[in-house]
Amino acid sequence: MPIIEVNHFTTRRLQILDPSGVVDEQLMPDLGDEALVGLLCSMLRMRTFDEKALNLQRQGRIGTFGSLRGQEAAQAGLTLNLIDEDWLVPSIREQGVLEGRGLPMHLYYSFCKGDERASQIPDGLNATPQSIPIASQLLHAAGLGMALKLRNEEAAAVGFAGDGATSEGDFHEALNFAGVFGAQTLFYIQNNGWAISVPFSQQTAAETIAQKAFAYGFEGMQVDGNDVLAVYVASRDALDHVRSGKGPYLIEALTYRMESHTTADDHTRYRPAAEVEAWRARDPISRMRTFLSRQGLWDEQQEAELVAKVSAEVEAEVEALEAMPRPPATDIFDYMFAELPATLIEQRQQLIAESRNGK
Amino acid sequence: MAFDFRLPDVGEGLHEGTLVEWLVAVGEDVALDQPFARIETDKAVVDLPAPRAARVTQLHFSPGDLIEVGQVMISFSGDAPATRDGPAADAAAAPTGNGTSDSAAPARPPSVAALEDSDPRSFLATPHTRALARKLGVALAQVRPSGRGGRITDEDVERAAQQPVAATRPTTATPAAPSAVTAPPRAVPQVIGEEREERQPLSHLRRVIANAMAHSKRTAAHVTHVDEADVTDLLAIQKRACQHIETKGGPKLTLLPYFIKAAASALIDHPLLNASYDEDAQEIVYKHHRHIGVAVDTADGLVVPVIRHADQKDLLTIASELADIAERARRRQLTLDELKGATFTLSSLGPLGGAFATPIIHHPELAIVGLHAIKDRPAVVDGQVLPRKTMFISCSYDHRIIDGAVAARFMHDFLEMVQKPDLLMLRL
Ligand SMILES: Cc1ncc(C[n+]2csc(CCOP(=O)(O)OP(=O)(O)O)c2C)c(N)n1
Ligand SMILES: [Mg+2]
Repeated sequence: MPIIEVNHFTTRRLQILDPSGVVDEQLMPDLGDEALVGLLCSMLRMRTFDEKALNLQRQGRIGTFGSLRGQEAAQAGLTLNLIDEDWLVPSIREQGVLEGRGLPMHLYYSFCKGDERASQIPDGLNATPQSIPIASQLLHAAGLGMALKLRNEEAAAVGFAGDGATSEGDFHEALNFAGVFGAQTLFYIQNNGWAISVPFSQQTAAETIAQKAFAYGFEGMQVDGNDVLAVYVASRDALDHVRSGKGPYLIEALTYRMESHTTADDHTRYRPAAEVEAWRARDPISRMRTFLSRQGLWDEQQEAELVAKVSAEVEAEVEALEAMPRPPATDIFDYMFAELPATLIEQRQQLIAESRNGK
Repeated sequence: MAFDFRLPDVGEGLHEGTLVEWLVAVGEDVALDQPFARIETDKAVVDLPAPRAARVTQLHFSPGDLIEVGQVMISFSGDAPATRDGPAADAAAAPTGNGTSDSAAPARPPSVAALEDSDPRSFLATPHTRALARKLGVALAQVRPSGRGGRITDEDVERAAQQPVAATRPTTATPAAPSAVTAPPRAVPQVIGEEREERQPLSHLRRVIANAMAHSKRTAAHVTHVDEADVTDLLAIQKRACQHIETKGGPKLTLLPYFIKAAASALIDHPLLNASYDEDAQEIVYKHHRHIGVAVDTADGLVVPVIRHADQKDLLTIASELADIAERARRRQLTLDELKGATFTLSSLGPLGGAFATPIIHHPELAIVGLHAIKDRPAVVDGQVLPRKTMFISCSYDHRIIDGAVAARFMHDFLEMVQKPDLLMLRL
């Protein structure tokens, strides 16, 4: 038997709006002015909420927090395509998507205070709680995607993860499962170049994360994750594909984490400053702002008004956060186990007894 | 209404931070989220933003001071914000278990407990300390905490109980609003009879140096080998080169690059002096690169920036790197990376270098060379006593790993290159 080529694959990368704010007219999506402006607004909202979280942490009002700065386009472009029936299965840095889908941000902030109630997602919002164990959520996304398929629902489960997560076994199991069972799952990987202090170059010998989908029998593509228009188009098409039952899909959004991993980290210890500066020049917000200003759709005054409006919302959320009655300390025991093991029952009672005495 | 701002844990599990600088002054108004201070912690240097618009009424520390998490660092006039909740145990409320049963005392409705506990005026103290405070009639708000992370200890409570306080001291444990607390004035020189003394907390850098030095002295078996070197010829060469380069606008060429180059070259043939000792693994770690640390004196204290791959760099490159480092060290702009990774260290105080000294090894390296003052001294050259430029060079090494003969051979080769620059040229 001669040697034959069994298959080959091509990995595509989409960019529509380049870093200097110029669009490729042929690829430009058919979005009205309002929607275009809306994309910028939603990125600015994300950044404003994000900046506030950093301040709250520095003021001792919330605990550890991981900034999404730099990843706004990767989250806003996707969010615009989401429908109520879709399921969001977030990892640790998806506060932008969640905010865009209507999660009250005081709940997100309270998560950063270690408040268990933050994981109680409000009714009507199809989302699972943030998943701290890296990549574990992708298995949930595969399962949800399979359920949607079995129920014949025209919706998608969106499983979020970072580049670091793709080195976990869970990532591969989830992709394999989704491929085999045709789950209605979009694997949405934000490759922000770093997993805490581990650079992407040490994460995989493959050139892209997108190509990994091919190994599991479905398609993946790359998108410039700092180009909100490209993210919008790529995720629109991927979600159409997934919702219509054609199988799972993987998007790798190439972006960059501008801040430290979390407030407990100092990225200047392991990242060259020049790299950060190079990415600053590719900022997703200034790119879109430049484009919209040239179109006459956006100016400084509009931006000042928007920021003032969002800042007021942010402050209202902070007020709501601090008006939340304090959770019982026993919460730390009460949501992990259906039946608490004996040792924890003992600890729980000890906690109650000691705190009573101290009052 | 006035409020105090306590140093929060701006990292994760931090206990303290050093005040780098105030970004505001007393009497100044700050806007919401406007940075008012810069703090250096084990993790990073961060700016602290104001929790709301207010006017600064008091700064409780000075730059360089070590502040514990939980200590009041600045006071404002304005409304007090809610702060991060105290220890979880304070908040333990009625059981709300799902599937667990408690035999604990009658449950308070969670809502009531939660409301009580949402009071931001919580103090860090163990139940025992709280009970003690109640017994002694001390309000926790009146107590200056001395424990870790701003905890109030039994001793703090006892001390507070002995202090005469205005008649308004509450006799129950109901904490007064923090706004009512004015922290005691900062320690000032105390005059007791004729003797005066003053206490100054160590700066962050000083503490790092203190720990590193003590650790090295405690663990390494220091021996110091000293030799005299005749550097008359080297000085002549350096002087000529220096003039030539300076007329061309090049960097200032001192003797130091020559010493760095000579040491890096000698280390190629003596790899043990370029190694480190992994105490946990009980292994010698040989390095295939020669990164020379250069001890630099700055206003804040000693720092040791690193010339990487010194054996592969020419003198001019080393000279300009040194000039750059010295300048940035002065401006405190050296990054942490530049201070890490040395495989061997040179310490030089130039003309202040004295006859000789016994340098302390820069842990976890195994050897360090001290360069001392160059002086005109009589020397015997070809049977004649002549005035020559000579200096003492010391080398401290860790005798756990390096034996005397090994160090002596290194010093022999190193000094030969220093004394006979034509040999050094073979390595350039
Ligand atoms: C299973 C597991 N291992 C390790 C960690 C600690 N951890 C938290 S975030 C993180 C890196 C994640 O990197 P990446 O997937 O690229 O996401 P990013 O932080 O860049 O958004 C690690 C290792 C964890 N949370 N879970
Ligand atoms: Mg990452």
